[in-house]
Amino acid sequence: MTKATRDVTATQASAVLVSTIIGVGVLPLPLFAVRAADTGGPLVTLLGSVCALIGLLFVAALGMRFPDQSIIQYSERLIGKWPARAIGACLIVFFALLTSLTAREFGEVVVTSVLKQTPVEVTVIVMLMLAAISARNTMSTFAYIHFFYVPLLLVPVLLIVALSLKNAELLNLQPFWGNKPEGMLQGILTIAALFQGSFVMTIVIPAMRRPAKALSVSLYSILIAGGLYVVIVIAVVGVFGAQETRKLLWPTLELAKATSLPANVLERLDGAFLAVWVTAVFTTLLSSYYLTSQSLKQLLRLEEPRIFTFFLLPFVFVLAMVPANIVKMYEAVLNVGKVGLALTTVYPGLLLVIAWVRKKRGSAHER
Amino acid sequence: MNADAPRPFRGIVRRTARACPLLLAAALLCGCWDRTEIEDRAIVLGVSIDKAPPEAENEEESVTHYVKGLGPPASDLIRVGVQLALPGRIPLGPGESGGGGGNDPQKTVWVVDVVGHSVNDALMNLQQELSARLFFGHLRVIVVSEEMARFGLENIDDYFHRNSEVRRMAWMMVSEGEALSLMKASPKLERVPSLYLMTTLDEGIRMGKFPQDYIGIYWSRKSKLGQEGFLPYVKLKKNQTLQTKGLALFQDSRMVGATKPLGIAVYMALKGNNPGGYSAFVKVNGTEVMTHVTHRESKTTFELRDGKPFFNFKMAFELNLEEKLNDELNIQDPTTIREIEQSQMAGAKKLIEEFIGQSQSLGSDVLGLGEYVRAKAPGYWNRNVRTKERWQRMYKEIEYKIDIDMKIRRIGMKAE
Amino acid sequence: MPLFGNRTHLLSGKTRRGNRGQSESPSEPDSGRGDGSPVRKPLNGRLAELLADVTDVLGTDTTLSVRRFRIFGTFPAAMLFFPNMLDQAALNETILKPAMSAPPGSDLSDWTAQRLMDRLANEALWHTDCSETEDFDALIQGLLHGDTVLVADGSNAALVIGTRQIDKRGIDQPGTEQVIRGPREGFVEPIGPNLALIRYRLQAAELRMRQLTVGRKTRSKVVICYMDGLTDPALLAEVERRIGAIDIDAVLDSGYLEQYIEDNQWSPFPQVQYTERPDKVVANLLEGRVAILVDGSPLALIVPTVFNQFYQAVEDYTERFMQMSAIRMARLVALVFSLVFPSIYVSVISFNPELIPTEFAVAVAGGRAGVPWPAVVEVLIIEISMEVLREATIRLPQQVGGALSIVGVLVIGQAAVAAGFASPITVVIIALTTIGSFATPAYNAALALRLLRFPLIIIAGIFGLYGVMIGLILIANHLLSLKSFGVPYLSPLVPVNFEGMKDVLIRGPLWWMKRRPAFLKPGDRVRVGPEMTEPPETIGEEGGASPTSTAKE
Repeated sequence: MTKATRDVTATQASAVLVSTIIGVGVLPLPLFAVRAADTGGPLVTLLGSVCALIGLLFVAALGMRFPDQSIIQYSERLIGKWPARAIGACLIVFFALLTSLTAREFGEVVVTSVLKQTPVEVTVIVMLMLAAISARNTMSTFAYIHFFYVPLLLVPVLLIVALSLKNAELLNLQPFWGNKPEGMLQGILTIAALFQGSFVMTIVIPAMRRPAKALSVSLYSILIAGGLYVVIVIAVVGVFGAQETRKLLWPTLELAKATSLPANVLERLDGAFLAVWVTAVFTTLLSSYYLTSQSLKQLLRLEEPRIFTFFLLPFVFVLAMVPANIVKMYEAVLNVGKVGLALTTVYPGLLLVIAWVRKKRGSAHER
Repeated sequence: MNADAPRPFRGIVRRTARACPLLLAAALLCGCWDRTEIEDRAIVLGVSIDKAPPEAENEEESVTHYVKGLGPPASDLIRVGVQLALPGRIPLGPGESGGGGGNDPQKTVWVVDVVGHSVNDALMNLQQELSARLFFGHLRVIVVSEEMARFGLENIDDYFHRNSEVRRMAWMMVSEGEALSLMKASPKLERVPSLYLMTTLDEGIRMGKFPQDYIGIYWSRKSKLGQEGFLPYVKLKKNQTLQTKGLALFQDSRMVGATKPLGIAVYMALKGNNPGGYSAFVKVNGTEVMTHVTHRESKTTFELRDGKPFFNFKMAFELNLEEKLNDELNIQDPTTIREIEQSQMAGAKKLIEEFIGQSQSLGSDVLGLGEYVRAKAPGYWNRNVRTKERWQRMYKEIEYKIDIDMKIRRIGMKAE
Repeated sequence: MPLFGNRTHLLSGKTRRGNRGQSESPSEPDSGRGDGSPVRKPLNGRLAELLADVTDVLGTDTTLSVRRFRIFGTFPAAMLFFPNMLDQAALNETILKPAMSAPPGSDLSDWTAQRLMDRLANEALWHTDCSETEDFDALIQGLLHGDTVLVADGSNAALVIGTRQIDKRGIDQPGTEQVIRGPREGFVEPIGPNLALIRYRLQAAELRMRQLTVGRKTRSKVVICYMDGLTDPALLAEVERRIGAIDIDAVLDSGYLEQYIEDNQWSPFPQVQYTERPDKVVANLLEGRVAILVDGSPLALIVPTVFNQFYQAVEDYTERFMQMSAIRMARLVALVFSLVFPSIYVSVISFNPELIPTEFAVAVAGGRAGVPWPAVVEVLIIEISMEVLREATIRLPQQVGGALSIVGVLVIGQAAVAAGFASPITVVIIALTTIGSFATPAYNAALALRLLRFPLIIIAGIFGLYGVMIGLILIANHLLSLKSFGVPYLSPLVPVNFEGMKDVLIRGPLWWMKRRPAFLKPGDRVRVGPEMTEPPETIGEEGGASPTSTAKE
């Protein structure tokens, strides 16, 4: 209950990052990758993860310098009160947006493929409420929740990938750098933006038992999450081919559809996959929601964060309902993601440089 | 800490408890939007699509188009036949008799057909007549008539590709003659006729009679730049059985021709698909034997020769001797075996050349040779090919070499 | 502090009421507060007045016996007791007889009424359990407890003699936790034999039993058992604090206690385990847990409890590990079945029929064709009738119960299908679910899952698989935030402890589980000797090549 509890282990912290990163973004991921550089999709994904890793390492390095504070708090010491607060507010707005877009994106997936008559508002509000209820927990429960769900994220994806790989053709993945690699850079940024939930690291570090492990935690979690991303892209492009992947809105879901369990236990996996994927989306939402409410609490210097969880709900919900249709929504997802890269990668990078130049560090941790 | 631990939690629980009736009320008031009981769905098992004659226009009601300016589209009319499962007619469990005539497949399903300007238009016309919502989650077979296929499948592909209920593991096939008749067929082996059509092809894969070519795979192949799709080409025979007549070759979405049944074997040989499932006559010393391919292996390599793509097909087969027509041959003699192998090699080469020749003349690269060029020589591809159209033209002129190695492994239970 | 059990008559089951106030926690309600006796007074040595006071407090209770006699024929005295609560023959033999006839060779002249009681206890009475008191309330309490009170004229003290003997049923097979392999003993209602059963299995000096009294009216004895040096002291303090804070008038069963000490009363999941098996209590004590026994209840409470205890059975440890690992997994499957099966069925039938094979889907549609209501209503109806049936079977006398369950399952199920009331598949699903819920060893955990099944079915009827998943996430999040006496409920799964994982999904070989569960913070972690890496090798397998085996020979 008290602020001082530091009981999040390195494993749990990695689990938080992994399950935060793996979310609804996995569904359109191969489409983004293939749009950038057709058969070079896996490469783009790999580079995107590396790009995301750099941003996360900035955050982790900052966290290790200031092991008791989150970015909202230490940025004030580094660049002054008001500039830091202004950017902090931007960050909060950005994560509120990210939360709403995640909820909306998944709502669209559900409404398009499974619950066709259910209003998208209902699926969105259900997801958001689920996140809001769970965001009232303490940091250690938050870490437990993430840790518990990690297998539920990895197993279905790996299962589908393993089952579908027998239909994959190596030819579909060649040449590895793609026939038209012009869009590569753009694609790397798009993919890196899918990792932005990992920014939650900034509030995890102050609760970590040993903040010094933040670097390796970041490394491992990007390795797992990025590895999974690459594997998914390889499987999708390998099975469908780059040109077919381009035609699919959610290629990963389509891959689940094209896969059946041995012995026809389940004839197609898309419905089941989508159901299991609710957990992945939930953990992502929970993280960004938690991050938003905690940051808001820190920005406004309030003691009781729980009020915010429900206070935020209507705002996030309205934001989620803004895009008029699915095409607009994806436009918003991509644009917000790119703006977010500046906030979640460039800003911590700058802070780190300033901290380094001004030789500021947080109070050394007891242990 | 323990003292006040439960307090905030209790607050949550109380709130949740308070929210629960609210949620329940909301749920009951708003209803269960998507709940459609399985027996209230019109489960579509098969769909057939034929071109309809222009005079069928009279049959059609304006369900999707009303005002003159807003449609109907200029495309020609199609006739869509739909095979619906009749709930209650198919008994639960493996009982033989069951309810109302489980033995007669015709009575377990209901075939209805409508006309329309597009697939969706036709299905909307049908929905207008049906009480239950059409449900495509169990659509296993789509049959398209040859006439329709030669006209082009863009609209059909698009509709089924877009519909989230349709599975990628369904079969799409081209029928010689009317497609609707396949829906109405009543084979005796399965309780549900369209499942029979599906089983024919699924088992074909397992017996080595047909390559994997689900609708999803067809779509993937079709969208590739250096490959064309193909579909099974079938015919309903007089015993109400389905004959796999060959491969229907496509160029883009248009069928351009069909191979002979042995063309399937050639395709599978070139692709190295296993198990082997075809037998062939081999002429040796004036008489004939039959051999059965049990195992195929194939490797396609590609090189640029004089600035042109050149392909090398290296294949290896394992055969079983299955039948002799008379006693003249002595199989115990190793030279005879070698002669059979030699003879079959020559025959196979001829078949392959014929197959590739046919596909070249049709401009339909079903083997996906263009993909080799794109994947292995991206520089060449980007300079010289780039688009699918250009590859279709180039494909007609490619050169290739065939290497075949045949080995007879077994001769059955008879010694000579 | 004297060990409680040392002064217990193990075989007769008589317990001593003696050391009251000695080991009680400071927060225990003051004896005599708020009940019968209005004033606390010391004894003044006047017999008639005392007897009048007793009658005053107990009213005109005709079951109270007052036996007046003269000690050694000299001192007027009275013996008060409830004859139904003790063994009168023993009373005659060990108390009345030595009290009436002076000890041989003793000189009565130096006996005075003042020090009578002290000397009587030390020199005359042939009874082990005697305590002297000058407190009137203590005297009344002793009387009500079933002890015999000996008072004499002129003496300021009274003797409370532990003569209680309540008829109890014999030690029996535990009815709710039967095993094929393992001890057959179960707890009984009186606390004495129960404590004896524990100490009989755990003859360790570290075993501590601490007694408290809870309940204003029932004054039930509550004994906290723990292992000194092993149990986390913070946990012990928390248990004592919670029990000490209880202020109710009756504790009729350990279940009353459970509801006051659990962490979250609003959770459907039990956070305290109960058992009627002494061996289970001992095993848990040795892991560093605390057991709480209540007089009058054959069920001991064990805290802290984590979720995996509810699907573990005693047999898991008495039988060999490989078989029991498989059986434990079957039990887990049953657990999952009993929670999600009906809701998944509803969502597949009403929302995602494309998931099941085509032939089967068509057949299911046929089976459901005559059923007038949607699958969710159908499942709810059958589920509720199943619950009714189950409750009826439990409440009925055993002989009738068996017949009823046959009638219920066979006839009603068959008839319901024949009448088009339910589809055959639904009946199969519900039957599987019900059987699944029976396979969970812990009744209270099975109840929780049974209860949660209903909201899941309803949400499945609204959102299909998506809803089921939402419901499961809510349940899982609740489980993850739940704690039992400070221990996360899903330990050792979350937070992860690989040592503990050897006993979660499978039951690892005993020699793998070298350490006690870390989440209980035991004082001494090692439980298997360092040499016990594997079972000892059989002699002759390696021809005595290893140095240890030759040394032994």
